[in-house]
This record gives sequence, structure tokens and C-alpha cells, in this order.
Amino acid sequence: MYKLTGVTKLYQKGRRTVPAVRGLDLVISGGEWLAVQGRTGHGKSTLLNLLGGLDRPTEGTVELDGTDLGALRETQLTRLRAEKIGFIFQTFNLIPTLSAAENVEAALIPLGVAAADRRARIAAALESVGLADRAAHLPSEMSGGQQQRTAIARALVKEPKVVLADEPTGNLDEDTRDEIIALLERLWRERGLTLVLVTHDTAIARRAQRVGVMSKGRLTIRQDTRPGPHPGSQTVTAANDLAT
Amino acid sequence: MFFATYLRRELRRRMRQAIFVALGLAVGVGLVVTVSAASAGVKKAQTDVLSSLYGVGTDVTVTGEAPQPKAPSANSQPPKNATTIQGSPSGAEICQNGKCENAAGKTVQTLAPEYLPIKSAEVTDVARLHDVSTAAGGLLLTDNTITFPKNFGAGGGSAPPSPNTLSVDGVDTAHTSLGPLSEGSLTSGHSFTAADSDSHVAVVDSGYATSNSLKVGSVITIDSVKFTVIGIVRQPQSTSPPDVYVPLKVAQALKTGPLGVETGDVNTIYVTASSAADISTVQHEIAKLLPHATVTTAASLASEVTGSLSTAAKLVNDLGKWLAVLVLIAAFAVASLLTMSAVARRVAEFGTLKAIGWRTRRIVAQVLGESVVMGVVGAAVGVGLGFAGAAIISKVAPKLPALIPGSSGGGNFQSQTVSGGPGGASHIIGGIPDRTISVALHPSVTVGVIVLAVILAVAGGLLAGSFGSWRIARLRPVDALSQVA
Repeated sequence: MYKLTGVTKLYQKGRRTVPAVRGLDLVISGGEWLAVQGRTGHGKSTLLNLLGGLDRPTEGTVELDGTDLGALRETQLTRLRAEKIGFIFQTFNLIPTLSAAENVEAALIPLGVAAADRRARIAAALESVGLADRAAHLPSEMSGGQQQRTAIARALVKEPKVVLADEPTGNLDEDTRDEIIALLERLWRERGLTLVLVTHDTAIARRAQRVGVMSKGRLTIRQDTRPGPHPGSQTVTAANDLAT
Repeated sequence: MFFATYLRRELRRRMRQAIFVALGLAVGVGLVVTVSAASAGVKKAQTDVLSSLYGVGTDVTVTGEAPQPKAPSANSQPPKNATTIQGSPSGAEICQNGKCENAAGKTVQTLAPEYLPIKSAEVTDVARLHDVSTAAGGLLLTDNTITFPKNFGAGGGSAPPSPNTLSVDGVDTAHTSLGPLSEGSLTSGHSFTAADSDSHVAVVDSGYATSNSLKVGSVITIDSVKFTVIGIVRQPQSTSPPDVYVPLKVAQALKTGPLGVETGDVNTIYVTASSAADISTVQHEIAKLLPHATVTTAASLASEVTGSLSTAAKLVNDLGKWLAVLVLIAAFAVASLLTMSAVARRVAEFGTLKAIGWRTRRIVAQVLGESVVMGVVGAAVGVGLGFAGAAIISKVAPKLPALIPGSSGGGNFQSQTVSGGPGGASHIIGGIPDRTISVALHPSVTVGVIVLAVILAVAGGLLAGSFGSWRIARLRPVDALSQVA
């Protein structure tokens, strides 16, 4: 479970201080799917970075399962990302020289999983995204949808608690977009993931349990709570969100 | 396994760049290997030249004072027993102890020490010095023979004949491991034994033996004394060895003119120091003990050897080494820039790896691994280039002449002049002339150089990789990912 308290993130742009996130209080329950919408430059990706431990808040705390991410050392954050958080990027961010299976394997390397176990988990992950027959293909040999499926397999192979997806369908056509969202929704349901998904697409956002809109660094919850598949996700309330 | 796969794929992806970096390192390393090989070849040639003067085990050579040439003057008297050749209206005359006769058709043979004598007691004193391991005396003599043509000096003069010179080395038969004889290898017969000290036996240089059709058992004459040849010795090609070696005692007994040696005298002492570190001390101690003698070490003698060999040594040591260093620096710089550029292009990749939980040091290891592989390939190719360079030098390099300074004196001929007749030019025929030795350059690639080459190339790779690693270490995943976005 995420708990954000008074989170502010300021950036320096030359002499100017630009607030990307301002005074954000937010609770995201385990197993919840939160979609975050908003215009470009209003703090969506910054929020995702803070949740993923890729960035630290200027003020306030970001807690994951009671651990203050801002207080962790860089190596501890790296370990936490390796174990608990899966990332899905708009541009897929696959290693171009590695095959689909090897890209998935890259997520298991920091965990020191034994080779035999690794192979089994890679096969299962690729199977779950429907890419069992593309394991040996390089990213350049796959379509955009297949590449994003590979990225999803990479995010899920380590069996994380949280998946953070930044515009996962931004580079895909409509049909593929639907496929990917359906896949994510299925995996969210099956695995009890906490899914935070940043999207411009209202159609996608509507499928989430909650939808928040970032505007000028503040988050407003607009859609509250569609029943989730897991007991934990039923308890989410808007009261934890700072709506301005 | 994953590490190797990732590394291999990445290098394959930017193969042209990897080949360029490896080749750059290879050229630098190849140049270092070639220059080192050439340097080793020059050093070997220098050692050959020096050991020809010294002998293998000799650290310090002491020679007696060099006889000084004296310009003839109207009132000067030649030393007793000195043979002089002087012009007269009727032609050239050979004079000894005031008696002169016409030189035409005459043959003059004289035997002279190359250096002024050193007393045998002084050899013992040198041997007793604290840092001296062994000392052995030697007597270097020069036998000069001049045959004047029958019409010499008639009709206004003719060119003075050149002397036929035979160099003789008196060898201490109890210490044959010191001095010039120690450098040679016997091709037939045997060398001296301690029992030969009083025998009229000789070991002859193979070059001299060939040109004079000598073999073991032949008899040669030095200053009217007959010697039986007991061995033929071949000296290294680059050396200028004595023609004949005879036992020291017998050499000392030969009649050596006005600068002649007395019983027990030598004019050279070959010295081995207790250790290499003591050579300088020994040099100073002997210089103090024998203030008039010339004390020479390999280092000091090397500075006197001039000619193309010396020029080549300077060329290799100065220009060659600097050129190699510059090329290496250029190769390192290119490798570093290309690695930095590759890292810059892979910022998103490394940012992603950091995001999915790769520690910085794992990514750095991956990049360093790629650089080291390029370095190892560069080293392998570079060593090959180095061998090729050394082979080319060995094949095309001409023989290098080395000019070894001689002494300016000259025993019996010290004050001799030959005049082509009245008003003819004087010609000093005495003294030990400078010697020019042609030395073949044989570059040799040693294991040490190969190891150095590998270390340099890998270090170049690591240096390049470390620049990239520095960038990676500073890379925040959020910045890397925002660059992609």
C-alpha cells in the first residue's frame, strides 16, 4: 500500500523553481488500479517517478508498505525496485540487442534467480502475455504491440506488488491499445497487482477503479471506486485524496 | 551467461565502432611492441659492440694511459729503439737509434702495446678491492708491418704504404672467462688452459684464420716468435676482436720497442664487480688507485660509441618511444571518446536497467566488460602488428655502423712520419685508429613486451570504459528516462 503525505516536488529550471507536484496526500491500497490523467507537464510522470522510487520528494513522504522511500539509500531503492515494482514505459524501453526472452530475463538478473528457475519464469511470463513463440525475437523483429507485451512480461516476471505504467498505449494503434489494456486488466485481476497507470486516454482511464487528474501539480479524484477483484482494493476511499 | 550474451550482442551491434577502437589500440600497442623490439635489438647490438671490447663477464675495464702522439720537430729526438721514417733528398729513410737507411724495398715490423703499461702489483691491488669479485690482467699489442716499394721516394715521392696491422691480446690463462676471448665461441681446437701459460700457442680469430688460411696446428709469427695455433674462435659478427690471442706471460716476453712492457706488466685489467650495484663504486675506487689509468664501464663506454648505431639508439629511445606514447594517448583518447559517445547513445537503456533494479556497478561492469574485450582484441592484433613491425625492421634495416674510439698514441710508431720526399706531406701512421663496426639490427619481441602490450591495451580499454562508467554512475534513472520521453 502506498501512502503519500504532503508530497511536493520542486524542479529548478534555471533560476526558476517549478513545482511539479504540490502538497499531495494520497493513499493507494494494495491491489488497486489507479489511473492518472492530466495534461502534459502537470506532474503525472513526476508522481509515477516518486511512486517508483526513481525520484525523491522535495517535501513530504512516500511510503510503500510502511517504508519511507525518501529515506532509503540509493542501493536500497534499487533493491526495492528490483523486487517490488514493475515499470512499463510508453516507448517500451527494451534493450535492442536482446531477444524478448533476454529482455524479460534482464529483470531477474538483480534478484539472482537461479538459471533453471529463471528459464521457467521467463517462459511463463512470455506465455502470459501471449508471446511464447516470439521468445527469440529481437525488439526490431516485433510489432509495437508485441514489444509492449514483452515490456509487460519484463515488468511482471519478478512478481512485483506494484506495476507503474506510463502511457503504455501511447505509441500503439487503437486495436493494439485495446489488446494491451485488456492484457493489463487481466493480469491486474489475476495477480492482485497495485496498478498505477498514467494515460491521456479517457477510455482507458474509465476501466480503472479510480481516476485522478493531475493539474498544476495537484491531484483531483474524479471517479471513485469501481469494485476491484481483490478484497484489499475495495477499501479505497476518496477521503485520502487531496482534491483541490 | 547473461553478462556474456549482453556483451557480445552489444559489441556486435556497434561492430564498426568496436573494430575502430580495437584497431586504434592495436596500432598503439603494435607501435609500442615494435619500438620496444627495435630498442631491444639496438641494446643487443650495443651490448655486442661493448662486449667485444670487454668480454661478457667484465664490468669494468682498466686501460693504461694512452700513448700521446708527438708532432715531429727539428730538434726532437725519437725515443730509444723507436723506428722513425723520415724524408731525405734521396727518398724516405728508416732510422733507429741514429742509424738510417733507405726505406725503398724494406719491410719494417714493430710490436707496440696499445696502452702504456700497468704493473702486475696494481692488478693485485685492484683484485683486493672490497667490491671487486675478480680481476685479470691483459696485454693488448699491435704488430705493424710496413713494406716500402722498391721505388719509394724516388722521383718526387709516392704515397706512403699502409701498415699491415695484427692485433694481439695477451690472455691471462687462469682467467679466460674475462676479457674479449670470453665472448667468442670455439669453432675448432681448444682454448687456453692454465698449463698453456708459458707455451707459444695461440688462439686465432676465425676471420683472421680464414683470410690467412690458418687452421689448428698452423704456425704464425709475431715479432719473429713462432706460435702454434691451438684453436679458432668466432666472435660475434658485430665485434672487432683481436686477431690473435696468446698467453699473457708469452706476450709480456715479446720485444715491444721503446714503450715496451717489463716482466709482469699488463696494459689492461678486466674487472668483475661483486654485484651490478657495485660497478660505480668499483670504478671510483680504481680511479683513485690508478689515477693515470682509464677506467671504463659499459655505461661510460656506450657513451663513446658513436655512428649510426648510436643514432639509431637515440632515434629509438627518443623519437620512437615518444611516438609510441603519443599514438597510445591518441588511441586511448579515441577509445574514450567513442565509449563516451556509445554511453550517451545508451542513456535510455541504462536508465531502464536502473529503473528495473540493476545496480550501477552491474551496469558499469557491463560497459567495462565491453571495453576490456575491445582492449584484449586490440592487444592481440597489436602484438601481431608488433611482430610484423619487428620482422619488417629486421628485414629492411641496413647494418648500423658503430664508431668505437681508438687511442691516439701508437707505440713504436708514435712519432713516425712518412714523407713522400722533400716537401712532401707528413703522414702519421702510429696510434690505434677509431674502429667502425657494422652491426645488424635484430629486433626481438620478448614475453615482457607482450605482457606490457596486453596490459596497455586492456588499460586503454579500462580507461575508456571508466569514462563511460563515470557517466553511468552519475546518471539518475529519472533523468535518463525523461530524455527518452
